[in-house]
Amino acid sequence: MNRFTPFSNAPANLGQYPEIRPKTSCFRKAYIAVMLLVVGRGLEAAARVDPTVRRIFQQLPDGFCLCLGVGPAGPWMVAKKDKKGRLRYLGWQPRAARAHLRLTIKNLASAMRLFTFQESTALAFNYDRFIVEGSLPQALAFMRALDRVEVYLLPKIIARLAVKRYPDNSELPGWKKHLNRIRIYLRAFFPDLIRVIYKNI
Amino acid sequence: MILPEFYDFCSRAKIISGENALEKIPGLLAGLHAGRPLIITDPGVQNAGLVDAVKQAMAGELESAPVYSDVPVDSDYHVVDKIAGVYRENQCDAIIAVGGGSVIDTAKGVNIVVSLGGKTLLDFQGAGAVRKKLNPLVILPTTAGTGSEMTLVAVIADPERREKMFFVSYFLLPDLAVLDARLTRTLPDFITAATAMDALSHACEAWYCLEKNPLSDALAFQAIDLICQNLLYVIQNPEDMQARLALANASTLAGAAFSNSMVGMVHNLGHVTGAVCHVPHGNCMAALLPYGLEYNLHRRGEIISQLLLPLAGPETYAATPRHQRAEKAIALIRQLNQDLHDATGGRHPRFLSEIRDRDGRRLVEKNMLPEIAEKALSDGARVPNPEELLADDAHMVLEHAWEGTPLDRTKIKTG
Ligand SMILES: [Fe+2]
Repeated sequence: MNRFTPFSNAPANLGQYPEIRPKTSCFRKAYIAVMLLVVGRGLEAAARVDPTVRRIFQQLPDGFCLCLGVGPAGPWMVAKKDKKGRLRYLGWQPRAARAHLRLTIKNLASAMRLFTFQESTALAFNYDRFIVEGSLPQALAFMRALDRVEVYLLPKIIARLAVKRYPDNSELPGWKKHLNRIRIYLRAFFPDLIRVIYKNI
Repeated sequence: MILPEFYDFCSRAKIISGENALEKIPGLLAGLHAGRPLIITDPGVQNAGLVDAVKQAMAGELESAPVYSDVPVDSDYHVVDKIAGVYRENQCDAIIAVGGGSVIDTAKGVNIVVSLGGKTLLDFQGAGAVRKKLNPLVILPTTAGTGSEMTLVAVIADPERREKMFFVSYFLLPDLAVLDARLTRTLPDFITAATAMDALSHACEAWYCLEKNPLSDALAFQAIDLICQNLLYVIQNPEDMQARLALANASTLAGAAFSNSMVGMVHNLGHVTGAVCHVPHGNCMAALLPYGLEYNLHRRGEIISQLLLPLAGPETYAATPRHQRAEKAIALIRQLNQDLHDATGGRHPRFLSEIRDRDGRRLVEKNMLPEIAEKALSDGARVPNPEELLADDAHMVLEHAWEGTPLDRTKIKTG
């Protein structure tokens, strides 16, 4: 046998070297999928209720489509500004529309750190856990909206960990926060959600 | 020292520093298999005779190198494409950039085009477009401030779209950075002051921002130490080569530090003020640096108080009670601005309202501040800043920095 062709008999051994696949835990995936759904619906609702979030999305161009998710295989969250300039949550199919801005969390472990609020969005950004495709100013604007939505969706004790600065009474009065929170939760979960789930299935 | 949960650090340019550093360039270029460099510079540097000094230093071993000396202050990709043409016409195989931030960024852009082929820099936009080793690049910084010789970024304007294009790649780091006091000797005192304050702000921001890490800390510490020991001395003794070299080293150290741990709100507001009002970067940095420290004090008190050691030296540090160190560090930076103002005969601005152009016109008007504060939300440097900085906060800080009054601590929102 020609000893200078070491790879010639390689296929015979291939069975000993099984393909390495990244570990995916169904539980984690499901958890993040639910969180992304809540965030997506929360964004849509907050864009109507909260003036700060509304202003952020007003400044984005019409038809703007953004996608937040975990690489390489999801889950995802897609939202788009419709013709009337309102933000719409489109669901979890990344192919639902061509994204102008795509924020990809590099892996499931990083996403878990972010969505279990061990790491704030800003810190995750600093630690290079995101891949940003699209313009940076728009990514920054989206992150500001995300911070604001987290303040509404989460109880204070958790939201404090997720955002850089939890707004105090002077920035966002307590009564307004609670009122908006109720409005956002009502909008996010009741009438429309069934429509979105139906469309995605 | 807080060891961060995660950090990355990369700094791989060879640096030579010393009295006869320029003379070593031909030999080191030969080691990179290059023998016909194109010198890229701007008219100011050319007129100061620095290119001749560089050529003279290399004369023994290198035949005369072609020179392109028309890089404008706001360089754009047309300039880059033009210089790439000059490079190819002269069959060059390396670049020597002699100048400040604009020249260095332009040279990095030229290196992309001539190394990767193609006609224009526009072909290489987007993240990750530069994935290959480029041709040899030598950087000779002449301002002792920007630290661009240690950064992996090149910012080049696109005048048609009125945008800045960012090119980010480790391959944009030079093969060689040369620090020689002959290059900064002719720098006027007020520019020396402004650029050194830029370097100081790089080091301080690398020190207190969210991405700080042990390696960048070590570099930032040394940079601050060198600046504080030498800056005023250089303004008073402009011919002292040793002190000039110390400032050049400080700038490079600070560049390597902030290139890896990023900068925060001082640069966030500074970038935007520069873009809106066409103010020199170093002047913005000098005016804003004390406010960056003050604004983040409640989050980074311990870290900022450690800055007193390189700023004031061990005696003062030890003699100051622990809870007063941070305040003292901030006061010292304000004092440094004041001293530079006095030593340059008032040509070093202490506040934003004092920044004037050559004809004495004020560049930053108070009615521009809301616009700056709003646009600051779109600048990437806001992310590593420890405290949230929204438009209202930015406006509040800018107003104080404009008037030169210390921040009203009760107005800082702490959440
Ligand atoms: Fe700077």
